[in-house]
Amino acid sequence: MTHRPYTPWLFLAPGLAICLMFTIFPFVNMVVLAFTDASALGGGRFTGVDNFVRMAEDPKFWVAARNSALYMAGVVPPLVLLPLLVALLAQKAVPGIGVFRTAFFTPVIASAVVVGLIWTWLLDSRGLVNNVVEALGGTRIGFLTDSTLLLVSSMVVTVWRGLGYYMVIYLAALANVPKDLHEAAMVDGAGPVRRFWSVTVPALRPTMVLVAALSAVNGFRVFSEIYLLSGGTGGPGGASTTMVLLIQSVGRGLTGEVGYASALSLVLFVVLLGLLLVTLKLNRREEQL
Amino acid sequence: MKRRTFLAGLAAVPVAGCGLSGTPSTGSSATGQVTGEITFQTWSLKPKYTDYVNGVIDAFQKKHQGTAVKWVDQPADGYLAKVMADASAGSLPDVVNVPPDLSFPLARAGQLVDLDETLEDAKPEYLANAWQAFEIPGKGGCYGFPWYLNTGPVFYNKALFRQAGLDPDKPPTNFEELEKQALELAEKKIAMLGQTPSIADFGLYGVKLFDTDEFTFNEPKGVELVELYKRLYDAGALIPEALTQNYTGAGTKFMAQQTALNPGSAYDLGKFKTDAPSLYANIGITTPITNTGSANMFLHGVSVPKSSRNQATALAFGRFVTNAENQVGFAKLASIFPSTSKGGDDPYFTTEDGTDEARVRVAAAKQLKTAVNYTPVQFSDQMREALLQQLADAMLGKKSAKQALDDAVNECNRLLK
Repeated sequence: MTHRPYTPWLFLAPGLAICLMFTIFPFVNMVVLAFTDASALGGGRFTGVDNFVRMAEDPKFWVAARNSALYMAGVVPPLVLLPLLVALLAQKAVPGIGVFRTAFFTPVIASAVVVGLIWTWLLDSRGLVNNVVEALGGTRIGFLTDSTLLLVSSMVVTVWRGLGYYMVIYLAALANVPKDLHEAAMVDGAGPVRRFWSVTVPALRPTMVLVAALSAVNGFRVFSEIYLLSGGTGGPGGASTTMVLLIQSVGRGLTGEVGYASALSLVLFVVLLGLLLVTLKLNRREEQL
Repeated sequence: MKRRTFLAGLAAVPVAGCGLSGTPSTGSSATGQVTGEITFQTWSLKPKYTDYVNGVIDAFQKKHQGTAVKWVDQPADGYLAKVMADASAGSLPDVVNVPPDLSFPLARAGQLVDLDETLEDAKPEYLANAWQAFEIPGKGGCYGFPWYLNTGPVFYNKALFRQAGLDPDKPPTNFEELEKQALELAEKKIAMLGQTPSIADFGLYGVKLFDTDEFTFNEPKGVELVELYKRLYDAGALIPEALTQNYTGAGTKFMAQQTALNPGSAYDLGKFKTDAPSLYANIGITTPITNTGSANMFLHGVSVPKSSRNQATALAFGRFVTNAENQVGFAKLASIFPSTSKGGDDPYFTTEDGTDEARVRVAAAKQLKTAVNYTPVQFSDQMREALLQQLADAMLGKKSAKQALDDAVNECNRLLK
């Protein structure tokens, strides 16, 4: 048996090539472009930190950053708790439970565009929800035309779409909670609620942190929901724009400001990385305790 | 360390994958021999017009032995992204279908062949207003063969007019009547319009949109139009979705009979017939509402990039596709109109046969003689969004009409530079 030192690299080569081409290179390119005034048709001069100075003075950036932060704050708690409750129900070995599991998972695999269209029809000023509201004697609600309600409506869609995905993560984690702990707790006289708080939740804490981190990143990076519900406009007056929507709006088309869009992407990257590092640190501290 | 790598991957954000390259490369000479292979890219013509385009290609190849045209059709979705990627890489197809607002940035970046310079005798073959649409304003040069045009009537819903006690045979003919009738409809909780004014609407109102090298639609007439729309919005004559609606969105609302009036084209009439028969039964057709006497016109063209390795053949093909004979043939299939100076004389565009389609077609063809492509070629997608957002603020009363237009104009002028 001879060991050739390059053999592992041969196995790694395809994956590395793809990673270099589609992740590392665009990322490095984005960092370079963030310091230029590049347009979609190429060119671009080095402009130092001009893009970042402009960002600090750009009200649209602050609106987008605030909305993304609000979005994250709005979707993380329900996305940590609701899928856990659903997973607890879906975990039970009841006949036909597969149907419910599939039903909860369907929004995850459904096309974002289809989901967006369905919710648009539901929440439109003449949509199903408003027709019901009016039939019950209420006045029509501007779910898609009021900038705050538009954000809230998008959050509802995000939670609805994420429910099944995080449920699966929780189902896997629940299967790993040792049965003997539950049995021991039962012997000690613990009821279902006590067992949930004293056995299930501590065992699931790392999973909950993971779900919180994933949903926070996805919440901050939200695009398709708000794009589809606002018809690509970011709400009336652009007041519901989020960070990724702003990047898309600034950088798209032949007249796109690619340099500025890259600078916005870089800031978004740094914010998300910071967020993940904080979550990781918190998780480690808990593990040590 | 491993965890950090994982995190970096997880937090990867959408990045702009454009390089710092993009210097336009120059291909072959425009005066060479018409021979060899070229690629022709169209905007969403398959599968409906496959036979037509193949027929044109066959005819060209027969006329110019030794040529081969490879046809690539791109779907409408993502067309812009495809052109952008090709333009950034300097690899645009030899003949590419682009409307004026797409040809303008490419021409400004020096990527397209100037037809005024290379084919001096081509200009008279096309309608003057169509040729002009592919020029860089103030700088001259023409960067695309005008292809098909469209303009259209204003459609209105007679049933909704009747419901509000308005005479269904007397639709508004000017902006004053539009406001009066819209307010009457609003009293019966019926919305007249589905979108805030587009840049073309400002043009139709008689607002000066652009002067020398800057936008000027914040002039008093522009403010007057926004104030008119504000009154409509406050009364409920403009649907709430208008604040975030584009042209397609407004069209959908009209089809769903949630608005009473919408500008359209001969193509829309066919769509109403198949997709909204109850609307079609009550459809009213009237002339465009304009203060200038000229209707709005939309057009497409084909351009030849400088990077083409076979410019002579590409130019010959571009001219062939857009000649009068081929354009008339296409127009008869697709509810569009030829942009050639001779095509419009065809009896198909001048004789009615009693059907609604023919009535709309003949009226539109007549209208096209004086129609104007109001949307300035410099008006980019980002500018359209800026205008829409500022108008939304004006409608919501967050800003005065004047302030909103000043802000929109400032943003458009900033983006122009």
